[in-house]
Amino acid sequence: MTDASYPDWDAVYRDNVSWVYRLMYSKVGNQPDAEDLTAEVFMTALKPLRVSATVPEVRKYLKMTARTVLASFWRDRMGRQITTIDDDVPDESEREVLESDAPDRVRQVLTTLPERYRRILELRFLQAFSVREAAGQMGVSVANAKVLQHRAIQMAAQMNQEAL
Amino acid sequence: MSGRPVRRFVDGLLQGRRIARARPDDVEAQEMKTAIEMRAARTGSDSPREDFVTDLHRRLAEQMGDAPQGESRSSWGPSGTRRQVVIGTGLAAASAATGIVVGRNLLAPPRAPTEASPPAQGVLDPNAGAWHAVGASADLPKGGAMAFDLGSVNGFVHRADAKVEAVSGVCTHQGCKLWLDAPDSRLRCPCHSTSFSLEGETVTHQLPTAPPPLPKFEVREINGVIEVLAPTKPA
Repeated sequence: MTDASYPDWDAVYRDNVSWVYRLMYSKVGNQPDAEDLTAEVFMTALKPLRVSATVPEVRKYLKMTARTVLASFWRDRMGRQITTIDDDVPDESEREVLESDAPDRVRQVLTTLPERYRRILELRFLQAFSVREAAGQMGVSVANAKVLQHRAIQMAAQMNQEAL
Repeated sequence: MSGRPVRRFVDGLLQGRRIARARPDDVEAQEMKTAIEMRAARTGSDSPREDFVTDLHRRLAEQMGDAPQGESRSSWGPSGTRRQVVIGTGLAAASAATGIVVGRNLLAPPRAPTEASPPAQGVLDPNAGAWHAVGASADLPKGGAMAFDLGSVNGFVHRADAKVEAVSGVCTHQGCKLWLDAPDSRLRCPCHSTSFSLEGETVTHQLPTAPPPLPKFEVREINGVIEVLAPTKPA
Protein backbone atom coordinates (compact mmCIF):
# COMPACT_ATOMS: atom_id res chain seq x y z
CA MET A 1 0.00 0.00 0.00
CA THR A 2 2.97 2.33 0.47
CA ASP A 3 3.47 2.79 -3.26
CA ALA A 4 -0.22 3.07 -4.06
CA SER A 5 -1.35 6.30 -5.64
CA TYR A 6 -4.67 8.07 -6.03
CA PRO A 7 -6.61 7.63 -9.29
CA ASP A 8 -7.37 11.37 -9.63
CA TRP A 9 -7.69 14.70 -7.80
CA ASP A 10 -11.21 13.85 -6.82
CA ALA A 11 -9.98 10.86 -4.82
CA VAL A 12 -7.26 12.97 -3.19
CA TYR A 13 -9.87 15.47 -2.11
CA ARG A 14 -12.41 12.98 -0.81
CA ASP A 15 -9.86 11.07 1.18
CA ASN A 16 -8.11 14.02 2.77
CA VAL A 17 -10.55 16.88 3.16
CA SER A 18 -11.76 15.76 6.58
CA TRP A 19 -8.39 15.54 8.27
CA VAL A 20 -7.11 18.75 6.69
CA TYR A 21 -10.20 20.55 7.98
CA ARG A 22 -9.84 19.01 11.46
CA LEU A 23 -6.19 19.93 11.56
CA MET A 24 -6.96 23.53 10.62
CA TYR A 25 -9.86 23.69 13.06
CA SER A 26 -7.59 22.51 15.87
CA LYS A 27 -5.20 25.34 15.01
CA VAL A 28 -7.64 28.26 14.68
CA GLY A 29 -10.63 27.11 16.77
CA ASN A 30 -13.34 28.56 14.53
CA GLN A 31 -15.26 27.29 11.54
CA PRO A 32 -15.06 30.19 9.02
CA ASP A 33 -11.27 30.46 9.22
CA ALA A 34 -10.84 26.67 9.23
CA GLU A 35 -12.93 26.46 6.05
CA ASP A 36 -10.99 29.23 4.30
CA LEU A 37 -7.68 27.63 5.23
CA THR A 38 -8.79 24.16 4.13
CA ALA A 39 -9.93 25.59 0.79
CA GLU A 40 -6.60 27.35 0.36
CA VAL A 41 -4.68 24.15 1.02
CA PHE A 42 -6.52 22.23 -1.69
CA MET A 43 -6.62 25.13 -4.16
CA THR A 44 -2.85 25.50 -3.76
CA ALA A 45 -1.87 21.85 -3.58
CA LEU A 46 -3.97 19.97 -6.11
CA LYS A 47 -2.82 21.55 -9.35
CA PRO A 48 0.93 20.96 -9.05
CA LEU A 49 0.49 17.50 -7.55
CA ARG A 50 2.45 14.85 -9.41
CA VAL A 51 0.40 12.15 -11.09
CA SER A 52 2.63 9.42 -9.73
CA ALA A 53 2.77 10.64 -6.12
CA THR A 54 2.08 7.86 -3.63
CA VAL A 55 -0.57 8.20 -0.96
CA PRO A 56 1.92 8.96 1.84
CA GLU A 57 3.66 11.50 -0.39
CA VAL A 58 0.35 13.21 -1.12
CA ARG A 59 -0.46 13.33 2.58
CA LYS A 60 2.92 14.73 3.47
CA TYR A 61 2.63 17.31 0.72
CA LEU A 62 -0.83 18.35 1.91
CA LYS A 63 0.45 18.69 5.43
CA MET A 64 3.41 20.80 4.36
CA THR A 65 1.07 23.00 2.34
CA ALA A 66 -1.22 23.31 5.37
CA ARG A 67 1.77 24.34 7.45
CA THR A 68 2.71 27.14 5.06
CA VAL A 69 -0.89 28.31 4.64
CA LEU A 70 -1.39 28.48 8.42
CA ALA A 71 1.88 30.34 8.93
CA SER A 72 0.98 33.05 6.45
CA PHE A 73 -2.53 33.29 7.93
CA TRP A 74 -1.06 34.07 11.36
CA ARG A 75 1.51 36.48 9.98
CA ASP A 76 -1.31 38.41 8.34
CA ARG A 77 -3.66 38.41 11.33
CA MET A 78 -1.28 38.66 14.27
CA GLY A 79 2.15 39.46 12.88
CA ARG A 80 3.43 36.26 14.46
CA GLN A 81 2.62 32.54 14.70
CA ILE A 82 0.05 31.72 17.37
CA THR A 83 -0.21 28.02 16.54
CA THR A 84 1.91 25.89 14.22
CA ILE A 85 1.69 22.57 12.43
CA ASP A 86 4.58 20.42 13.55
CA ASP A 87 6.96 18.90 11.09
CA ASP A 88 7.60 15.67 12.94
CA VAL A 89 5.62 13.12 11.01
CA PRO A 90 6.94 9.70 11.88
CA ASP A 91 4.27 8.00 9.77
CA GLU A 92 2.23 9.97 7.30
CA SER A 93 -0.88 7.91 7.83
CA GLU A 94 -4.14 9.71 8.32
CA ARG A 95 -4.41 8.50 11.89
CA GLU A 96 -1.04 9.94 12.69
CA VAL A 97 -1.92 13.29 11.20
CA LEU A 98 -5.12 13.45 13.19
CA GLU A 99 -3.58 12.53 16.47
CA SER A 100 -2.84 15.49 18.63
CA ASP A 101 -2.06 15.72 22.30
CA ALA A 102 -3.87 19.07 22.54
CA PRO A 103 -7.16 17.74 24.00
CA ASP A 104 -5.24 15.70 26.57
CA ARG A 105 -3.13 18.68 27.47
CA VAL A 106 -6.25 20.81 27.85
CA ARG A 107 -7.74 18.29 30.23
CA GLN A 108 -4.52 18.05 32.17
CA VAL A 109 -4.20 21.80 32.52
CA LEU A 110 -7.83 22.10 33.59
CA THR A 111 -7.38 19.63 36.43
CA THR A 112 -4.50 21.63 37.85
CA LEU A 113 -6.46 24.90 37.94
CA PRO A 114 -8.29 26.14 41.03
CA GLU A 115 -11.88 24.86 41.07
CA ARG A 116 -13.61 28.08 40.00
CA TYR A 117 -11.16 28.70 37.17
CA ARG A 118 -11.58 25.16 35.91
CA ARG A 119 -15.36 25.45 36.10
CA ILE A 120 -15.66 28.70 34.16
CA LEU A 121 -13.42 27.38 31.38
CA GLU A 122 -15.34 24.10 31.15
CA LEU A 123 -18.67 25.89 31.00
CA ARG A 124 -17.58 28.45 28.43
CA PHE A 125 -15.17 26.54 26.21
CA LEU A 126 -16.15 22.89 26.43
CA GLN A 127 -19.88 23.14 27.09
CA ALA A 128 -20.64 26.26 25.06
CA PHE A 129 -22.55 28.15 27.75
CA SER A 130 -22.95 31.92 27.37
CA VAL A 131 -21.31 34.18 29.97
CA ARG A 132 -24.74 34.80 31.47
CA GLU A 133 -25.57 31.08 31.70
CA ALA A 134 -22.15 30.26 33.10
CA ALA A 135 -22.48 33.02 35.70
CA GLY A 136 -25.90 31.64 36.65
CA GLN A 137 -24.53 28.13 37.05
CA MET A 138 -21.72 29.36 39.25
CA GLY A 139 -23.85 31.77 41.26
CA VAL A 140 -21.76 34.83 40.40
CA SER A 141 -22.48 38.07 38.54
CA VAL A 142 -21.85 38.34 34.81
CA ALA A 143 -19.04 40.84 35.42
CA ASN A 144 -17.53 38.45 37.91
CA ALA A 145 -17.73 35.55 35.45
CA LYS A 146 -15.91 37.63 32.82
CA VAL A 147 -13.08 38.41 35.22
CA LEU A 148 -12.88 34.78 36.32
CA GLN A 149 -12.74 33.64 32.72
CA HIS A 150 -9.95 36.02 31.85
CA ARG A 151 -7.84 35.15 34.88
CA ALA A 152 -8.45 31.46 34.26
CA ILE A 153 -7.12 31.77 30.71
CA GLN A 154 -4.07 33.64 31.97
CA MET A 155 -3.32 30.94 34.49
CA ALA A 156 -3.98 28.10 32.01
CA ALA A 157 -1.63 29.76 29.53
CA GLN A 158 1.09 29.99 32.16
CA MET A 159 0.72 26.32 33.01
CA ASN A 160 0.75 25.44 29.34
CA GLN A 161 4.02 27.25 28.91
CA GLU A 162 5.58 25.66 31.96
CA ALA A 163 4.56 22.23 30.71
CA LEU A 164 6.58 22.72 27.52
CA MET B 1 -0.05 42.11 31.79
CA SER B 2 -2.39 40.98 29.10
CA GLY B 3 -5.71 42.65 28.63
CA ARG B 4 -8.08 43.79 26.00
CA PRO B 5 -6.65 42.09 22.89
CA VAL B 6 -6.98 38.70 24.53
CA ARG B 7 -10.49 39.41 25.84
CA ARG B 8 -11.61 40.45 22.38
CA PHE B 9 -9.94 37.43 20.85
CA VAL B 10 -11.61 35.05 23.30
CA ASP B 11 -15.04 36.65 22.85
CA GLY B 12 -14.78 36.20 19.09
CA LEU B 13 -13.55 32.65 19.46
CA LEU B 14 -16.42 31.66 21.74
CA GLN B 15 -18.89 33.21 19.30
CA GLY B 16 -17.41 31.21 16.43
CA ARG B 17 -16.23 34.26 14.52
CA ARG B 18 -13.21 34.69 12.31
CA ILE B 19 -10.04 35.72 14.06
CA ALA B 20 -9.63 39.51 13.97
CA ARG B 21 -6.32 41.28 13.42
CA ALA B 22 -4.24 42.11 16.49
CA ARG B 23 -0.62 42.50 17.47
CA PRO B 24 -0.21 40.37 20.60
CA ASP B 25 2.97 40.22 22.69
CA ASP B 26 4.48 36.93 23.88
CA VAL B 27 2.21 36.51 26.88
CA GLU B 28 -0.91 37.38 24.94
CA ALA B 29 0.06 35.03 22.11
CA GLN B 30 0.38 32.18 24.62
CA GLU B 31 -3.05 32.99 26.06
CA MET B 32 -4.59 33.04 22.59
CA LYS B 33 -3.03 29.69 21.82
CA THR B 34 -4.40 28.23 25.04
CA ALA B 35 -7.87 29.58 24.24
CA ILE B 36 -7.77 28.02 20.75
CA GLU B 37 -6.77 24.65 22.15
CA MET B 38 -9.58 24.75 24.69
CA ARG B 39 -12.14 25.75 22.09
CA ALA B 40 -10.94 23.06 19.69
CA ALA B 41 -11.19 20.45 22.44
CA ARG B 42 -14.98 20.81 22.52
CA THR B 43 -16.38 17.47 21.46
CA GLY B 44 -17.93 17.09 18.07
CA SER B 45 -17.27 20.57 16.74
CA ASP B 46 -14.50 19.71 14.32
CA SER B 47 -16.26 17.97 11.46
CA PRO B 48 -16.38 19.90 8.20
CA ARG B 49 -19.84 21.09 7.14
CA GLU B 50 -21.23 19.05 4.33
CA ASP B 51 -22.15 22.21 2.37
CA PHE B 52 -18.56 23.36 2.66
CA VAL B 53 -17.16 20.03 1.46
CA THR B 54 -19.55 20.02 -1.52
CA ASP B 55 -18.89 23.64 -2.41
CA LEU B 56 -15.11 23.31 -2.24
CA HIS B 57 -15.36 20.22 -4.41
CA ARG B 58 -17.20 22.28 -7.03
CA ARG B 59 -14.62 25.09 -6.87
CA LEU B 60 -11.78 22.61 -7.24
CA ALA B 61 -13.51 20.97 -10.19
CA GLU B 62 -13.62 24.37 -11.90
CA GLN B 63 -9.96 24.97 -11.16
CA MET B 64 -8.95 21.53 -12.38
CA GLY B 65 -11.02 21.94 -15.53
CA ASP B 66 -12.90 18.78 -14.73
CA ALA B 67 -16.56 17.91 -14.53
CA PRO B 68 -17.76 17.95 -10.92
CA GLN B 69 -18.35 14.21 -10.78
CA GLY B 70 -15.73 13.19 -13.28
CA GLU B 71 -14.38 10.23 -11.40
CA SER B 72 -14.30 8.11 -14.54
CA ARG B 73 -12.97 10.96 -16.68
CA SER B 74 -9.78 11.27 -14.77
CA SER B 75 -6.82 12.89 -16.42
CA TRP B 76 -4.61 10.85 -14.14
CA GLY B 77 -5.12 7.57 -15.85
CA PRO B 78 -7.69 4.81 -15.85
CA SER B 79 -9.89 4.60 -12.83
CA GLY B 80 -12.29 2.11 -11.39
CA THR B 81 -9.83 -0.74 -11.46
CA ARG B 82 -10.04 -3.11 -8.58
CA ARG B 83 -6.73 -1.97 -7.14
CA GLN B 84 -7.83 1.64 -6.87
CA VAL B 85 -11.16 0.80 -5.32
CA VAL B 86 -9.42 -1.30 -2.70
CA ILE B 87 -6.99 1.52 -1.92
CA GLY B 88 -9.78 4.02 -1.45
CA THR B 89 -11.61 1.79 0.97
CA GLY B 90 -8.53 0.88 2.95
CA LEU B 91 -7.45 4.46 3.52
CA ALA B 92 -10.84 5.50 4.71
CA ALA B 93 -11.06 2.56 7.07
CA ALA B 94 -7.90 3.78 8.77
CA SER B 95 -9.74 6.85 9.98
CA ALA B 96 -13.02 5.11 10.72
CA ALA B 97 -12.66 5.32 14.49
CA THR B 98 -12.50 9.09 14.34
CA GLY B 99 -15.51 9.30 12.11
CA ILE B 100 -17.64 7.22 14.40
CA VAL B 101 -16.77 9.18 17.49
CA VAL B 102 -17.54 12.44 15.77
CA GLY B 103 -20.80 11.12 14.40
CA ARG B 104 -22.06 10.08 17.79
CA ASN B 105 -21.02 13.14 19.71
CA LEU B 106 -22.20 15.87 17.41
CA LEU B 107 -23.76 18.63 19.43
CA ALA B 108 -25.12 20.19 16.27
CA PRO B 109 -28.17 18.63 14.64
CA PRO B 110 -27.29 16.06 12.01
CA ARG B 111 -26.91 17.49 8.56
CA ALA B 112 -29.37 16.16 6.08
CA PRO B 113 -28.25 15.51 2.53
CA THR B 114 -28.61 18.66 0.45
CA GLU B 115 -29.48 17.15 -2.90
CA ALA B 116 -32.85 18.33 -4.11
CA SER B 117 -33.94 14.95 -5.38
CA PRO B 118 -32.02 11.98 -3.98
CA PRO B 119 -32.07 8.81 -6.06
CA ALA B 120 -35.14 6.69 -5.46
CA GLN B 121 -34.96 3.78 -3.06
CA GLY B 122 -35.13 0.50 -4.96
CA VAL B 123 -36.40 -2.88 -3.85
CA LEU B 124 -34.01 -5.76 -4.25
CA ASP B 125 -35.54 -8.05 -6.84
CA PRO B 126 -33.35 -11.06 -7.65
CA ASN B 127 -33.92 -13.05 -10.85
CA ALA B 128 -34.29 -16.17 -8.80
CA GLY B 129 -35.37 -15.44 -5.26
CA ALA B 130 -36.61 -17.45 -2.33
CA TRP B 131 -37.82 -16.66 1.17
CA HIS B 132 -35.15 -17.10 3.79
CA ALA B 133 -35.76 -17.09 7.51
CA VAL B 134 -33.70 -14.41 9.27
CA GLY B 135 -35.06 -14.57 12.80
CA ALA B 136 -38.02 -15.06 15.11
CA SER B 137 -40.76 -12.43 15.30
CA ALA B 138 -40.51 -12.58 19.07
CA ASP B 139 -36.90 -11.42 18.92
CA LEU B 140 -37.83 -8.22 17.14
CA PRO B 141 -39.81 -5.91 19.40
CA LYS B 142 -41.48 -2.75 18.14
CA GLY B 143 -38.79 -0.20 17.34
CA GLY B 144 -36.11 -2.89 17.43
CA ALA B 145 -33.65 -3.88 14.73
CA MET B 146 -31.36 -6.83 14.03
CA ALA B 147 -28.75 -7.85 11.54
CA PHE B 148 -28.91 -10.83 9.21
CA ASP B 149 -26.43 -12.39 6.84
CA LEU B 150 -27.58 -14.82 4.18
CA GLY B 151 -24.23 -15.14 2.43
CA SER B 152 -25.30 -13.66 -0.89
CA VAL B 153 -26.81 -10.65 0.82
CA ASN B 154 -26.82 -9.14 4.28
CA GLY B 155 -28.90 -6.48 5.90
CA PHE B 156 -30.97 -5.31 8.83
CA VAL B 157 -34.61 -5.93 9.69
CA HIS B 158 -36.52 -3.58 11.93
CA ARG B 159 -40.07 -3.25 13.15
CA ALA B 160 -41.70 0.11 12.52
CA ASP B 161 -45.18 0.19 14.04
CA ALA B 162 -46.50 -3.27 13.32
CA LYS B 163 -44.79 -3.75 10.00
CA VAL B 164 -41.41 -5.38 9.52
CA GLU B 165 -39.03 -3.86 6.99
CA ALA B 166 -35.55 -4.85 5.80
CA VAL B 167 -32.79 -2.94 4.07
CA SER B 168 -29.42 -3.88 2.61
CA GLY B 169 -26.43 -3.81 4.97
CA VAL B 170 -23.94 -2.58 2.38
CA CYS B 171 -23.08 1.09 2.01
CA THR B 172 -24.15 2.45 -1.38
CA HIS B 173 -20.96 4.51 -1.66
CA GLN B 174 -18.13 1.98 -1.84
CA GLY B 175 -19.62 -1.19 -0.47
CA CYS B 176 -18.38 -1.21 3.13
CA LYS B 177 -20.45 -3.24 5.56
CA LEU B 178 -22.72 -1.13 7.75
CA TRP B 179 -23.01 -1.64 11.48
CA LEU B 180 -26.10 -1.20 13.63
CA ASP B 181 -25.93 1.70 16.05
CA ALA B 182 -28.98 0.57 17.98
CA PRO B 183 -29.18 3.42 20.55
CA ASP B 184 -29.30 5.96 17.72
CA SER B 185 -31.36 3.78 15.37
CA ARG B 186 -28.78 4.31 12.67
CA LEU B 187 -26.86 2.15 10.24
CA ARG B 188 -23.34 3.51 10.10
CA CYS B 189 -20.64 3.04 7.50
CA PRO B 190 -17.14 2.46 8.92
CA CYS B 191 -15.49 3.91 5.82
CA HIS B 192 -16.67 7.51 5.40
CA SER B 193 -18.99 8.12 8.37
CA THR B 194 -22.07 7.93 6.20
CA SER B 195 -25.19 6.97 8.15
CA PHE B 196 -28.57 5.65 7.10
CA SER B 197 -31.88 5.42 8.91
CA LEU B 198 -33.26 1.96 9.62
CA GLU B 199 -35.61 2.62 6.70
CA GLY B 200 -32.56 3.02 4.46
CA GLU B 201 -32.64 6.79 3.88
CA THR B 202 -29.27 8.56 3.81
CA VAL B 203 -29.11 10.63 7.00
CA THR B 204 -25.59 12.03 7.24
CA HIS B 205 -22.54 11.89 5.02
CA GLN B 206 -19.30 13.80 4.40
CA LEU B 207 -19.07 13.09 0.70
CA PRO B 208 -19.37 15.62 -2.08
CA THR B 209 -22.62 13.98 -3.19
CA ALA B 210 -25.08 12.00 -1.09
CA PRO B 211 -24.89 8.23 -1.56
CA PRO B 212 -28.22 6.72 -2.69
CA PRO B 213 -30.53 5.19 -0.10
CA LEU B 214 -30.18 1.50 0.79
CA PRO B 215 -32.18 -0.97 -1.32
CA LYS B 216 -35.06 -2.61 0.53
CA PHE B 217 -35.85 -6.28 0.78
CA GLU B 218 -39.28 -7.78 0.59
CA VAL B 219 -40.10 -9.13 4.04
CA ARG B 220 -42.89 -11.24 5.48
CA GLU B 221 -43.75 -12.80 8.83
CA ILE B 222 -45.13 -16.31 8.83
CA ASN B 223 -45.83 -18.38 11.93
CA GLY B 224 -43.59 -16.26 14.10
CA VAL B 225 -40.69 -16.32 11.65
CA ILE B 226 -39.35 -13.29 9.76
CA GLU B 227 -38.46 -14.09 6.17
CA VAL B 228 -36.60 -12.04 3.58
CA LEU B 229 -36.79 -12.49 -0.19
CA ALA B 230 -33.17 -13.10 -1.25
CA PRO B 231 -31.36 -14.84 -4.10
CA THR B 232 -31.63 -18.62 -4.10
CA LYS B 233 -28.40 -20.28 -3.08
CA PRO B 234 -26.20 -21.38 -6.00
CA ALA B 235 -26.58 -25.08 -6.60
